[in-house]
Formats: sequence, structure tokens, C-alpha cells
Amino acid sequence: MELSKEIFAKYTDAATLEKIRNYGTLSAMWRHCSHEYASDIAIVYDEKEYAFSQLDNDAAHYRAVLANAGIKPHDRIGILAANSYDFVKAFIAVTTFGCTAVVLPAQLDAPMVFGCCMKFGLRALIYQEQLEEKTLVAKEKCPNVTLLCAALSSETTSPIYDVSPSDPCVVMFTGGTSGKSKGALLSHRAVMQGVVNGCYGYRDVFGQRYLLVLPLSHVFGLIRNLLTSLYTGSTLFICRNNKDMFRDIAVFKPTLLVVVPALAEMALALSRQFGRNMLGADMKYIICGAAAVAPYLISEYKKMGISLFPGYGLTESANLVSGNPEPDLKPESVGMPYPNQELKFVNGELLLRGDNMMDDYIGEPDEKAWEDGWFHTGDLAHLDEDGYLYITGRTKDVIVLSNGENVSPAELEAQFNALPFIQDSQVFEYVTEQGRHVLALEVVPRPAELAKLDAGDTKELILDALREVNAKLPAYARVEKITIRDTDFARTPSMKIVRYKLGQ
Amino acid sequence: MERSEITARLRELLLSANMSDPKLIESCTEDSRLIEDLGFSSAAMLYMVIAIEESFHMRFGNVGMADFKTLRDVVTYIEKALE
Repeated sequence: MELSKEIFAKYTDAATLEKIRNYGTLSAMWRHCSHEYASDIAIVYDEKEYAFSQLDNDAAHYRAVLANAGIKPHDRIGILAANSYDFVKAFIAVTTFGCTAVVLPAQLDAPMVFGCCMKFGLRALIYQEQLEEKTLVAKEKCPNVTLLCAALSSETTSPIYDVSPSDPCVVMFTGGTSGKSKGALLSHRAVMQGVVNGCYGYRDVFGQRYLLVLPLSHVFGLIRNLLTSLYTGSTLFICRNNKDMFRDIAVFKPTLLVVVPALAEMALALSRQFGRNMLGADMKYIICGAAAVAPYLISEYKKMGISLFPGYGLTESANLVSGNPEPDLKPESVGMPYPNQELKFVNGELLLRGDNMMDDYIGEPDEKAWEDGWFHTGDLAHLDEDGYLYITGRTKDVIVLSNGENVSPAELEAQFNALPFIQDSQVFEYVTEQGRHVLALEVVPRPAELAKLDAGDTKELILDALREVNAKLPAYARVEKITIRDTDFARTPSMKIVRYKLGQ
Repeated sequence: MERSEITARLRELLLSANMSDPKLIESCTEDSRLIEDLGFSSAAMLYMVIAIEESFHMRFGNVGMADFKTLRDVVTYIEKALE
């Protein structure tokens, strides 16, 4: 099935729908926005306001920094910066200079930054001043990679370079559909489609007040938060520290928030605790994705006068594949698929193709990810009679937690199975009585090994050993519930464990 | 404010958050480790910090999450901040 933007026409007014145009490339989009909204405030950061015209001017000077360093359009340039004005300026400068921005998560350590310089063939690396230490290994081992501080400027400016929609725009890190970290290359066409997709399904699109708490190294933060904010002539407030987000909200009075479900849950818990809407009276919309959204969040926020829209997307699809419209929201679904893409279902798995899809993974093309130009999402899904999409599970054994982390049960099970008296185990997603999605563990002990143990309460001993293994796992990958089985798991004819699926 | 009072109010804040297993919170002691024993995620840590600031009318200074390993560390920090 092919999709057009007309299905979203009824959710906004004609003038707004008309304004939602695809400029083809970020260069063309920025040329339009920096002119159209010149005197409006684009970014608020560290108590300073930056108008679109100032951001445009700062980016033009930074393009001259790139040019003076001998960098040419189509070079790959790393950006290593936490959420900040410097990040935004560098990103706009790099992409409108015709280079490919390789966005490195700010938490990478120095050897990893060096690894990325090699893996992605970087021509230069732009770093935020306070992260300079993380560039030291690269500085020593990659003399050909030019290191540029994001705070640099030039007396001259350099013009916007015209690229074509098929030119590469950005490389984003992703857990991939198998849980292994990769770099997805998105073209200008894909990024622009992702940016425009963020405009469908709600009434007040342009001139909003966005709050940024997600990392810009994540596609949800970069595309749906930063770029759609710029595209819509909105103001983006960049939180310096998430612990101050509610104080920032009280001052900035945002109208739109882009978050993962764990943050939406946290804000709701705080609002209940302190008996007031912590997101402020101006908040209208919460765009929620990157993990499954519990339907109670939608109804609870509705009571506070806030519309929370669950959506679905991937790094590989320039973020947005589908989103719920207002008022026709279906809480259990991830909404209606956005325009200019096609969906099909093979053995229950969702396959995608269209303008928003990545070119490929950089450095390690994954043939298994594609089939005749269709991308395998790895998600089991279906559409209902109204065209709403539902995600029902994963074809591969990856659990997506509410904070967006991908966990491979097989990797966790291997840790528990390493105990001599554990025969087999299963890690699975479990919903607590309070509706939280957590990881749970069931194990089948080895009776023969247990008999060797000189212990009175073997059950307690097993639990202690499992808890010890659990405590050594990364915090997000720990199980919260452990059950010791008396019988073996149900098995398939080939003796594989029949995996528990959520809701069964 | 008495230390026991701080601990009780902190437990109350954590219980109402629905971000960790309530049984773990109910039975927690000052020795309970936030991540290992109480299963705190990064969002739960963030909740705790914000809820403490709101509830105790105090501000966390320039401290990282790694500075708080156990509930004792948190209670001690609050106690000092309220002095």
C-alpha cells in the first residue's frame, strides 16, 4: 500500500497543510527557514536566545572554518557534542556545506571516538570544548583527521552548498534490528521526509515551543525534536541537565515535548506526587516513541489536558514511520503510517520502503536487512481496517525496554546459564501489577548438580547465585523477577524453548 | 529534620513513583543499593533527584548519579543540604 499526506488533511487546517512542504534537502529547507523565520527565536540554550538569522550567520561562519581547513562537500565529518547550541550550529554548518554529519554519542570514550574515526572514514571531527579529552587517542593515531573545536569561528563566511536529495546527509548510531551497534546512512531525502512526517496528525504545527531532553545523537532527538522544530519555525529550548527540566519548563512554558515512555511516566509520577501538572499549563502535545507506550499514559495525560501521541519509528527510517492523529487516536496502536512510504507484511513481519528509508549501514552493509529493496524491520505488525498500525512483537529475540534500550535475552540467558546448576533459562518482558514493563527470569535447575551441593535450602542458594549474576549486568539489563521452575520449559519439535510473548 | 524522618519521607516518595518494585522499596534499608538492590533505572534516578528537590525544598549541587550508591548516601546528602 502507498500512502499520501491527504489522509492527514482532516487533522489540521488547510493553510497549515499547505505549509507542510518537502524542500528535498536540508540545504533547501534551511535556506527557506532561515529567511522565513529570520527574526524568530530558533534556540534557547544556557540562558541565551538565538534567532534563526543568528544561527544562520553562525553556521555560515562555521562553514568557512570547514572550507579553510580544506574540507570539501561530500566529506564525512564527525560531530562529538552533548546537546547544546554548538551542536546545532555544527550540524547545520556541516550538512548545508554538503558534507555528511556522523553524529557520535557524547558518552563515547576516547578509544571509541578513535574507532569511529577509522570505521566511518572521517575527514574531520568537530568536538565540543569540554569533550576535547575524548579526541586525544584520535589525535595521536589519526593524523589525517582534522580536529576542529565547535567554538571556532572565521572572519569570513561560506555559502550554502546545493546538494541533491539522494546525497548522503547524516550517519546515526543504531542498535540495528539485531541489537548490534551500527551506523545508518540517511540521505537528505530520507531526513527531509522524517522532518516533514513530524508535522502530521495534529492541529497546531508551526510556531510551537519545543523542549529538548532527548540526546541529539538519537534520531528521535535529532529529527523529530531539533529538525522538525526548526522546520516549523518553532523555538527549541535545550535543557542543559534533565534534572532541571521542570524548572526549565516553568520558565520556558513549552507547548510540545518529545520523549521516550520512561520519561513520560516519570513526569506523570511527579505530577501525581506533587498534585500539579509538572509539564506546565501550556503543554499541549507529547510525542512519545522509541519503545512501547502503555495506554494508561494517554488517558492520564488526557485528564491533564495534554494529548500524548504514541508513534513508531526506527533509526533506519529517519525516525518516523507512523503516528497517532488527534482526535482519532487508538491507544493500542502506533498510529497511521506517514506518506511516501510503502508497507508490506511477510510472515507477519513489517517490511518498509520509501523516501524515509536509509541507504544502508555504513562499513558493514547487512544483506539480510533487505529483500528486493524492502527493509526488514524485525517487528511483527499488522494494520487494522482503518489503516492503523499495531506492533505485536519481534521476529528476532530483542526486547525493547521503556527507556528505548534494546536487550538481547539470549545474551542475558548465557550469563545465567554459566552457573553449573542452571540447565536452561529464559529472560522475557513482564508487566507488573502497576503496569511497568520489566525483565523477568525463569530458570530450570540441573538436579544432578544440585545434589552435589552441600546445602540445606538449595532454592535460596540458586536465588543468591542468580542475584549475584544479575547485579553484575548493566543496570538497564537486570531482571526484576526470578522464578525457579520445577519442570522444563515447553519446547518446540526441534527442542528449542517456546518463548513467552507479552500478553500470553 | 531527623534522619529517620528523612528516610521515611524518601521511602514514601519512592513508593508513590511506581518506578521500582514496591516490595523492594517497602523492605529497603539505608544499606540498599539503588541500582543493584532496588533496580533503579536512569529514569527512576532522575525521578528521585527531582522529587527530593521538590519535596525537601533543596537543590542537588554538581553531583553525578555515581556519587550515590546506597540509600544511605542519599539520606546523608539530604541531611547535610538541610543543615
